[in-house]
Amino acid sequence: MLNLIRNEWMKLWHKKATWVMVILLIAMIIGLVGLTKWMDRNTETPPWEQSITEELTMVKQQLTASDLSNETKSNLEEQQMLLQYRLDERVAPISGQGFEGFMMESYGMSSIITLLTVIVAAGIVASEFSQGTIKMLLARPVRRWKILTSKFLTVVAFALFLTVISYVVSLIMGMIFYDALGGSLLEVVNGQVIEESYWLKSIWLNVLALGDVIITASFAFAIGTVFRSSSLAIGIAIFLMFTGTQFSFLLRNYEVAKYILFSHTFTQIETGGSFIEGISTPFSVAVLVVYFAFFLAISYWTFTRRDVTA
Amino acid sequence: MEIKPIVELKNLSKTIGKKKIIDQLDLSLYPGQITGFLGPNGAGKTTTIRMMAGLMKPTTGDVIIDGLSLRSNFELGISKMGAIVENPELYKFMSGYKNLVHFARMHHNVTKKRIDEVIRQVGMEKRIHEKVSTYSLGMRQRLGLAQALLNNPKFLILDEPTNGLDPAGIREFRTYLRKIAEEDGVSVLVSSHLLSEIELMCDRIAVIQNGKLVAIREVNAIEESQYYIEVQPVDKARSLLSDKGIIVENYQDGLLINVEQSAIPTIVEQLVKQNIAIYAVSHHRKTLEEQFLEMTGGGQVVESNSK
Repeated sequence: MLNLIRNEWMKLWHKKATWVMVILLIAMIIGLVGLTKWMDRNTETPPWEQSITEELTMVKQQLTASDLSNETKSNLEEQQMLLQYRLDERVAPISGQGFEGFMMESYGMSSIITLLTVIVAAGIVASEFSQGTIKMLLARPVRRWKILTSKFLTVVAFALFLTVISYVVSLIMGMIFYDALGGSLLEVVNGQVIEESYWLKSIWLNVLALGDVIITASFAFAIGTVFRSSSLAIGIAIFLMFTGTQFSFLLRNYEVAKYILFSHTFTQIETGGSFIEGISTPFSVAVLVVYFAFFLAISYWTFTRRDVTA
Repeated sequence: MEIKPIVELKNLSKTIGKKKIIDQLDLSLYPGQITGFLGPNGAGKTTTIRMMAGLMKPTTGDVIIDGLSLRSNFELGISKMGAIVENPELYKFMSGYKNLVHFARMHHNVTKKRIDEVIRQVGMEKRIHEKVSTYSLGMRQRLGLAQALLNNPKFLILDEPTNGLDPAGIREFRTYLRKIAEEDGVSVLVSSHLLSEIELMCDRIAVIQNGKLVAIREVNAIEESQYYIEVQPVDKARSLLSDKGIIVENYQDGLLINVEQSAIPTIVEQLVKQNIAIYAVSHHRKTLEEQFLEMTGGGQVVESNSK
């Protein structure tokens, strides 16, 4: 299996397009940092105490409403507790203008990583068919499911590689262009306010984003495997990536929206839940896993049975 | 002692949709033997080859390679086989060497040394590190052969192997095939539409038509002892020879006679004595093309150059 993955990895990096993708990713991170810096050059930020106090007033006001669900209520109470803690203990929040805040946002590159991974995932099986090399690849003493597995794992490795690149480049850019402004991340655990590491948080967000990338990639992988056309797979996957969320947003008041893939992401676990009311984290994860398993199942089903006539 | 076949097709059938492409095909291929695989367009050659290479699943029946059934023992069975199926499509964006490394990794026990050995055998040392996209068709054909030989196969499938090779290359290729068949006991199945090519290369031919095996013959066995004589006047010579009990038939401007080689001088002498002018005497072989048309019923379109 390791040899098969090495093969796929070798083929991947012998294509110029792959290098272009990585360079594009790096260039985009650098470009975005430059752009943000340039736009923020004249922005004055008020002292943090002021904004925290404002926020606290707002939360208190919301809590006076009578029609709150239990869930919302406990969320607001937690927020109140955190904000009060900051004011009482004089603990500054992490500023978006600082290095810490920048690193926390680094997972935002995942949409570009998704785009690039989708291109690879769509083509990794389909291109073997279009080049005719599938005959050479399958007339070997290796079972087909192993070949498909090596291809999928290569896609996962590629997504991981891009995520690491993105994180490292962000880190370097952050160190060059941003100053550490201090501030800390607070969370309520079992009624106690504790401080969290922004490093761990930024890495965890990137890991969750990687999970989302892999879900979308598995979709493109399945389309590419079933229809043997990478352009079709790239087209459909990217189209759904951009419109899927809006589509399920439109249906948000219907029960069915809960079961649509696009209503769920791994990242929203950390960043404040789905736009649909009453979706718990385990439910989101379950939906994502079921879709993922389904995409892989149809890929394996077709790939292992198909007669090669290309 | 009977020689055990390397490859056995047992009652092999393939149905696609409602159409029976291959119909209960039985065929055995023996070590050291080069078998030509012929058939008109659409006879099912490619389908048969694809089933032997593990690219298609038979509807019923089985392919046995070196005693291993592809149904129950796929990996081990296929590991005894090397194949070029139609054009050797390789990864154009990588060098020839990287292509070989790639395929070598899919087999067990193919060492770096073996890769170098194969490169030398197909005469690719000079350009092996260049990208495949810069290769000519002949070069790709050589590289295709190289990848098929990597695992020291006991059974080699070659579909249109000389396509794109220059005359010297074809000759070299033929000699090489002979060598591995004779020295290593490899069983080779060659499918080609170049009948003259098959004739030069193969020990026997298997002909399929409409998914069924219609004939299998040793190339040497079909070579009958026939001589062609061009004489004038033809009629006189014909009656003279048939009076002697020799089987005679008209052929082109002269006659075909079924005699032993040793009888030729006497016949010539007698014809000369009768004042019959002799313009040519030559050994006559039915070309494979003639035999092929005979076996497939003649009217059928012979596999043409178009793919």
